[in-house]
Amino acid sequence: MKRAGAAQRLPEPPEGEPGARGAATRAARRTALALAVAALAALPWIGNTVLVQFGISVLLLATLAQGWNIIGGYTGYPSFGNSVFYGLGAYGVAIAMVQYELPFWVGMLLGLGLGVAFAGLLGLAVLRLKGHHFAICTLGLALVMTAIVSNLEIAGGNIGLVLPLLRSEVLFYELALGLAVLATLTVLWLSRSRFGLGLIAIRENEEGAAVMGVNTTFYKVIAFMLSAAFTALAGGIYAYHITYIDPVGVFDVVLNVKMIIMAVFGGPGSVLGPVVGALILSATAEVLAARLTGAASLFFGIVIVVAVVFMPRGIAHLVRHIGPAGWRYFIDNVRTHRL
Amino acid sequence: MHRFLVLLASVLLAAPAWAQTVTFGASVQVTGPVANTGRYYKDAYEFAVDKINAAGGVKIGTEQRKIALKILDNQSDVNLSVRQYVQLLAQDKVNFLLGPFASNFVLADSSIAEKSRVPMVQGGGASDQIYSRGYRYIFGTLPAASDYFGSTIEAMTKLTPRPQTVALLYADDAFDVSVAKGTRGALERAGLKTVIDARYSTNASDFSALLSRIKSGKIDAVLVAGHETEVLNFIRQAKSLDVSPKLYSFTVGVPSADFRQALGADANGASGMSAWLPTAALKDRWFGDAEAFARAWKAKFGYEPDYHAASGVATVEALVNAIEAAGSIDAQKVRDTLAKSSFDSVYGHVAFNDKGQISMPQTMIQIQNDKVVPIFAAGRFINKLDYPLGPWGDR
Repeated sequence: MKRAGAAQRLPEPPEGEPGARGAATRAARRTALALAVAALAALPWIGNTVLVQFGISVLLLATLAQGWNIIGGYTGYPSFGNSVFYGLGAYGVAIAMVQYELPFWVGMLLGLGLGVAFAGLLGLAVLRLKGHHFAICTLGLALVMTAIVSNLEIAGGNIGLVLPLLRSEVLFYELALGLAVLATLTVLWLSRSRFGLGLIAIRENEEGAAVMGVNTTFYKVIAFMLSAAFTALAGGIYAYHITYIDPVGVFDVVLNVKMIIMAVFGGPGSVLGPVVGALILSATAEVLAARLTGAASLFFGIVIVVAVVFMPRGIAHLVRHIGPAGWRYFIDNVRTHRL
Repeated sequence: MHRFLVLLASVLLAAPAWAQTVTFGASVQVTGPVANTGRYYKDAYEFAVDKINAAGGVKIGTEQRKIALKILDNQSDVNLSVRQYVQLLAQDKVNFLLGPFASNFVLADSSIAEKSRVPMVQGGGASDQIYSRGYRYIFGTLPAASDYFGSTIEAMTKLTPRPQTVALLYADDAFDVSVAKGTRGALERAGLKTVIDARYSTNASDFSALLSRIKSGKIDAVLVAGHETEVLNFIRQAKSLDVSPKLYSFTVGVPSADFRQALGADANGASGMSAWLPTAALKDRWFGDAEAFARAWKAKFGYEPDYHAASGVATVEALVNAIEAAGSIDAQKVRDTLAKSSFDSVYGHVAFNDKGQISMPQTMIQIQNDKVVPIFAAGRFINKLDYPLGPWGDR
């Protein structure tokens, strides 16, 4: 994660251009993004059901990647425990709707509460670990959770829960879109707030941040809870949409790996990177699955390996830095990381 | 010129005949972790459709239509399979759906059929949950998990000497928990005393503690709901610890050739069940009978069909029969005729209850002299059960 030294080799362009031109560019960029969101919101009325279905899946993954971005990209803690928050969100909705016959939104609140509370308690304990130790510790969580939930009567044990059927794909799509936008706006706020800068300071040098007056424990736990909040909400929407969940299906480490790949592919620690990463990788996987079924995963793996070798800092970095360097950007990357 | 006109006219007349097809769509596990069994369904759907097309296809009113089949590979990913079923309906415009393998896939995928009000006939999921949701568009050809030991328990009540004590062991996954739940009730109704009722974790390899309890409790009958490797370990350890209940029965393994090969002579005496045996008694409109079906299957694919394969074929036949009965490819009409299905197939008699699930008794089987022998079905003994099993030293 800590690439601070390596990053110095490539020239960093100034963040905000001063003067009226900079303001105009920013306004234009903002308008373009607002238009893009509006177009996405209108998609169910323009596109077909297949596209809407794909959209739901991509938007949920984008939210997950964005959630991981908060703890993994900004704070520098590579969490493998996010799939647990996802599962808790899914079970919150399922338990509320199936066992207590409560409305969907109450379930979402329950899932949100479960995910955030668990992240808070867990964070206090495991955020003391760093790097690989933190990763390994969180890696075990999904397995532990599967075992616990499998034995809970209220969660349907290992048989799982069947949710009521809702015949409205548009609602799920708009919910997923709203959540992805909310997650992205939160990350945008992070990127320019004192809190977000504190997280970046922790990522770059935790001791240094502490010396400079950042309450690192507090910052890290809040970041973990924020990450859990979006992940749990995505899990809740997923549960109601798929109509059936079981412990093995929702506490899935593979899903966590997906979040990481998408966030890292897009550019960890950037605002739009994880969303773009989720879109590009999902589209690639979908096309490969349709075109060459048997070897699809193989080619998908190759895409990821090539991406990591030639652009290890993600698409966001590529877009900003490729400029005059052209193809030498890729060569520089390979050289910098001594591959 | 004249000849050309005739040719043109005949082409124009013939065109609608081959353009008009009925399309069945399915998303199955051709690759990925569950592809081993998932592939049976791809083979079964293709095998059945080819056979039915060769016999002229499906008759709708007065016209014969061929069946087209669209199979997608979901790579053993539930989320992808859901999207593929949406794609099959929205983009590929398939008329009817065939199911994937495994209960968790069926549970998720059937909600697409229900949402779109298009019937799905599936032969790959046995979980009782599939039918407990009040869905109207899902039909299944695998008998209920809760009834797997039904025939075995019925046979046990008719044995002399009657077994007095029973041990019920089961793995902790969804399917085996369902089996155990149903078996527990059936044992109680049959008046058999369950002395040990134990759950073990999936992929457990050490059964010595459980076996010691069985030995010290002098248990007469042991029923195990688990997976093949667990059953293999159980029998090997039973031999080395010299635990010999009078009867033991397993949900998996016993019908398969691999199982007998792995255990050799030690497999003898093990009981199990199968919803399907390739006998000539099972008559079929397209394949003749189940024996001929099994031969043709082996010749084409190079392996012997098991109940998954036969169940997959039965789903295709159920759809074809329902379409013919409805005289239409209207989804509503076909759903209604499917609900009234009643026909004989290579798989057995197909008829669905009001929830959409088939009711089919399991045949109790036992390995005797390295061969699978049917023992008990439909309330009577077909062959003599090797009972009570003697101590390992005498076998």
